[in-house]
Amino acid sequence: MTMRLGRAALAGAALLTTTAIAASAQTREELMEQHRGGTLRLVASAAGGTIDPQINYTAQYWQVMQLVYDGLLTFQKAGGEEGGVVVADLATEIPEPTNDGKTYVFQLRDGIKFSDGSDVGVDDVVASFQRIFKISGPTSGTFYNGIVGAEACIAAPPDCTLEGGVVGDEAARTVTINLVAPDPEFLLKISVPHAVILPAETPATDAGVTPIPGTGPYYFESYNPNESLVMSRNPHFQEWSAEAQPDGYVDRIEYGFGLTDEAQVTAVQNGQADWMFDQPPADRLNEIGTQYAEQVHVNPLTAFWYAPMNTNLPPFDDVRVRQAVNYAIDRNALVQVFGGAVLAQPVCQILPPGFPGHEDTCVYTQDPGTTWTAPDMDKARALVEESGTAGQDVTVVVEDTTVSRGVGTYLQSVLTDLGYNASVNAISSNIQFTYIQNTNNNVQISVSQWYQDYPAASNFLNVLLSCASFHPGSDASVNISGYCNPDLDARMQAAMDLAVTDPEAANAEWAKIDQAFMAEAPVAPLFTPKAIDFLSTRVGNYVFSNQYKWVMSEAWVQ
Amino acid sequence: MSLPSEPVLAPAAEVAGSGPSRPAEGRGPWRTAVRRLRRNRSAMVSLAVLLAVAALTLLAPAYAGWLGIDPFRSNLAGTTVIDGQSVPVMEPSTTGLGLGVTPIGPTWDLGGYLLGADNQGRDVAARLLYGGRNSLLIAGSATALCLVLATLVGLVAGYMGGIVDMVLSRILDVLWAFPVYLLAISLSIVLLTSAFTIGPVTITAGSLLLPIGIIGVIYVPYVARPIRARVLTLRQSEFVLAAIGLGLPTGRILRKDVLPNLLPTLIVFVPILLALAITTESALSYLSIGVQPPDASWGTIIQDGQTLLYSRPWVALAPGLAIVVTVLALNVLGDAVRDALDARGHGR
Amino acid sequence: MLATIAARLGQMAFVMFGISVLVFLIFFATPGSDPAARIAGRNASPETVEQIRHDFGFDRALPVQYAVMMKRLFVTRDLTSFVNRGQKVIPEVLDAIPATLSLVGGAAVLWVLGSLAVGVAAAALRDTVVDRGLMILTLIGISAPVFWLGEVMNLLSQSRYHDTWLFSWVPGLGYVPLSESVGGWFKALVIPWITLAVLYIGIYGRVLRANLIEAYSEDYIRTARAKGLSPARIMLRHALRTSLLPFVTMFGLDFGALVGGAALLTEVVFGLNGVGRLTFHALQNLDLPVILATVIYASFFVVAANAVVDMLYAVIDPRVRA
Repeated sequence: MTMRLGRAALAGAALLTTTAIAASAQTREELMEQHRGGTLRLVASAAGGTIDPQINYTAQYWQVMQLVYDGLLTFQKAGGEEGGVVVADLATEIPEPTNDGKTYVFQLRDGIKFSDGSDVGVDDVVASFQRIFKISGPTSGTFYNGIVGAEACIAAPPDCTLEGGVVGDEAARTVTINLVAPDPEFLLKISVPHAVILPAETPATDAGVTPIPGTGPYYFESYNPNESLVMSRNPHFQEWSAEAQPDGYVDRIEYGFGLTDEAQVTAVQNGQADWMFDQPPADRLNEIGTQYAEQVHVNPLTAFWYAPMNTNLPPFDDVRVRQAVNYAIDRNALVQVFGGAVLAQPVCQILPPGFPGHEDTCVYTQDPGTTWTAPDMDKARALVEESGTAGQDVTVVVEDTTVSRGVGTYLQSVLTDLGYNASVNAISSNIQFTYIQNTNNNVQISVSQWYQDYPAASNFLNVLLSCASFHPGSDASVNISGYCNPDLDARMQAAMDLAVTDPEAANAEWAKIDQAFMAEAPVAPLFTPKAIDFLSTRVGNYVFSNQYKWVMSEAWVQ
Repeated sequence: MSLPSEPVLAPAAEVAGSGPSRPAEGRGPWRTAVRRLRRNRSAMVSLAVLLAVAALTLLAPAYAGWLGIDPFRSNLAGTTVIDGQSVPVMEPSTTGLGLGVTPIGPTWDLGGYLLGADNQGRDVAARLLYGGRNSLLIAGSATALCLVLATLVGLVAGYMGGIVDMVLSRILDVLWAFPVYLLAISLSIVLLTSAFTIGPVTITAGSLLLPIGIIGVIYVPYVARPIRARVLTLRQSEFVLAAIGLGLPTGRILRKDVLPNLLPTLIVFVPILLALAITTESALSYLSIGVQPPDASWGTIIQDGQTLLYSRPWVALAPGLAIVVTVLALNVLGDAVRDALDARGHGR
Repeated sequence: MLATIAARLGQMAFVMFGISVLVFLIFFATPGSDPAARIAGRNASPETVEQIRHDFGFDRALPVQYAVMMKRLFVTRDLTSFVNRGQKVIPEVLDAIPATLSLVGGAAVLWVLGSLAVGVAAAALRDTVVDRGLMILTLIGISAPVFWLGEVMNLLSQSRYHDTWLFSWVPGLGYVPLSESVGGWFKALVIPWITLAVLYIGIYGRVLRANLIEAYSEDYIRTARAKGLSPARIMLRHALRTSLLPFVTMFGLDFGALVGGAALLTEVVFGLNGVGRLTFHALQNLDLPVILATVIYASFFVVAANAVVDMLYAVIDPRVRA
């Protein structure tokens, strides 16, 4: 992967952390003795919704759920790409699938307790899987519908038993999960917070603001979405696997809500907070990059910003117009909007760099090859002329955040240059995402982002562009372009089947599918962002995992 | 402390109604007022300032044409010449970690980027001029609308009293307690999905009638209630009671006796409403009602400047100064007009 | 007297009911406001969305939903938010009231005193340098948007000059409850008070000045002067009293609206967890239960403040028959 970084960024490269505790030759016990204790103060502009781990679907809270809950498996608490590796958590080891890949038998560890003192047992595991369906969790129909009995559960959630799907054996202390068909991504799917193990008696309703006991090194002590979320050390926690769930250094984590992003930057600068969740606003970037450079960490994210174009509405129902838009966008200009070349990289494909199945190719640039270089306005204008759609009205729908508005205003400018009567309209972030999905709203083009749930190509291509993700007239139709291509659907299915036996070949096939989609250009990929972690001076041992971002349990404050 | 100590001229029998038939010089009260105004130096200066502001905003296309730019087109990749050197309009940071991109600051050169660039690389000075048109149009119309409606409502409510007063006052209560932001958010989404037509007029989210209408209406209680209070007082004043006693029609009393005495109150509200209208318009366009990007108004430029406050404060300061100058000039003129119209001769 | 109060209360209830219905209708008339998909979560399957829609009762008729929501708000008092599920709306609003009252109360004291001083000084020293200077200052105060002024104050007091003697006493942004620390409460609120008061000093100072100047041409002032009263006494005891009528009217409007949460941008900029900020987030998230609660709360204060002002008229200006 070639990174278009300027000279100055090489200085920053020294801070790109991808390794775990490489600081010294001390053992973890020694470090723990030295640095244990203290309170970590985090700030964000708003809370992230419910603290029910099986419902919350925000990156903000997935980052803290990993400190409080465990699943049968989990993603390793390690830096960089290592953070995407699945390891055994409440299970003793990752089982090999049997029965043609449809059955997994998990051996449950002994001696692990919930934060309320009760022991973790087989009944808790079975109940937790049933609960996913009983509360109609967001991924119950998309991640976990492959479990035997899931279809019945989805149809009648309150009576969910997952008969034959999740079977517990008390005597042998095992849990057997049977799938309808082999699924190479299943182990990834049960490593996300939606599949964590909760006490069996947890009510089958959205917990909302009431904390549920967990098995992690911290527990939720209190939660007021207007004030703060407080986590304290779990008195019943005993570390069983440093790679799956390490003990935390700090005694307490206070996550306060309500400061604007400008105020958050100032708070970290003044030492009133240790870390800010929101990205620093554009006019502070230079300041923190120069005066506070040692406290800043920049890491790549497996995500991208893109502009879905409605393939069922004029003018974007004409493939030439969509290709023209892809040719005309100056992705470097958008990188400026986001904060400069160190923080964003132009992309012309759907799979982000570093993702399985990603291969550098770029067609929509002046010299088609492996990377994007410059826009090709002449080609774009020629395509628009060919299509005969110039002069039509186009509205770009964006969120009311600063970056989204900036991207939208720029796109409006580009569309005007191409000859359209373009306008841009910003609506509240909270509803923009569902608004642009609903075909009843006739949204022609919008600006959106997609972040990974887990590292698998299908998480981008299949979710965003398959026919099954297109539901006309519904607020939940994440194939925003409305692009349904049965041939490509079949190829994606074939690639997912192939991944069971030959993941390498499957990834190569995903790369080709990515290019095939881009030839039809249902979306205009814009750039891939990087995450900035701005920490106070007292925070030590920073570890960034590609899956969960900054691993808070690895940090110390004294 | 100096108080106006000129001898008070007895009011020429207002009770009998003052028509244009005034004694002596044969000039009407309006012409006298204009003459007084012309002799007031600060009033003339402020009038000149207002005309200059209006002229500048009207000349916006000429300025943009002379600069050779389109101030509504994003210019993120553009360059400009400063001191003979070609520099990018959006300067990436080259020190430290190289984070962030900063638009160029004010060049103080009329030939380009006088006040610097905004976060889309556009010339702020040119946008300021264009923005003045929208701001002055919206704020002016909204202020006028508000004053007319408020005077009507305040007059009727204060003079009539009783049920009429009660109903009107409760309507004002609903209006003042109404969540305008909710309406604006909702309206912007409704209009995004489908514009609606009233007669020959199609209203889209970008229609300027929307902010004019919304601002003009929501501030009505703010002016109407003080007007009503004033009318309640005036109703008990001797010349009104005398007029009623004389059996003059209500309309005439309102027009000739009550209304002129409301003028000072109204005049004091003009610059206040104008300033409030510009700020409210900024909030509305932030919610996508009214001035849409890439169009500009002083309020939207202030919003743009908010995101550049820590690095390029001039982007938010310049429109703020423009607002202050305009409102100040209007205020001085308003005071002078009030003095000139002063029927009791207490002006200069 | 009692009858008037009862009538006024009845009208108040009517206004609040009317506004709640309007809010409800506006919400459901907004395309994309349907909370089911947003609650169900990103990329939920259609069955999940349907299930959520049914669980929350969004598939029932609008009047039924309105009645249910009103019942949960007033009768059972367990109405919960759509966005922060499980969080009860009423305690949320009650918790936010102290911050708003502290902010608005302190600012009101500042702006009343400030505008009295400015208005009296400007009217008494009419057409002098002092008057001109005050006029310019007040107009700057009116023209500076509150959100801009607040951010600039933060820039100066928290960031640029935070370490100088001028601002080193300024604590981090946020509200410190009075019960926790009186000193902390005060220090955290000084700059927000000034920011909020600046706009209103400008408005009220100008209005007061204009009214005072007008009052001076009235007959009863001439009478007072003829009686030989001192200029100070004339100004403070006679002219001021009658000039206060529009002042008090506007104060009722503004104070009522602010206590109801109109200071939302000030609260957001300074990180104060008040009703205004609650309203702001609820609006942005289209969180109907919280919107309803805050709007009803706000309308109560607006109407109540106006009622109090109306009753004060007779006290302030005897010429007014209420």
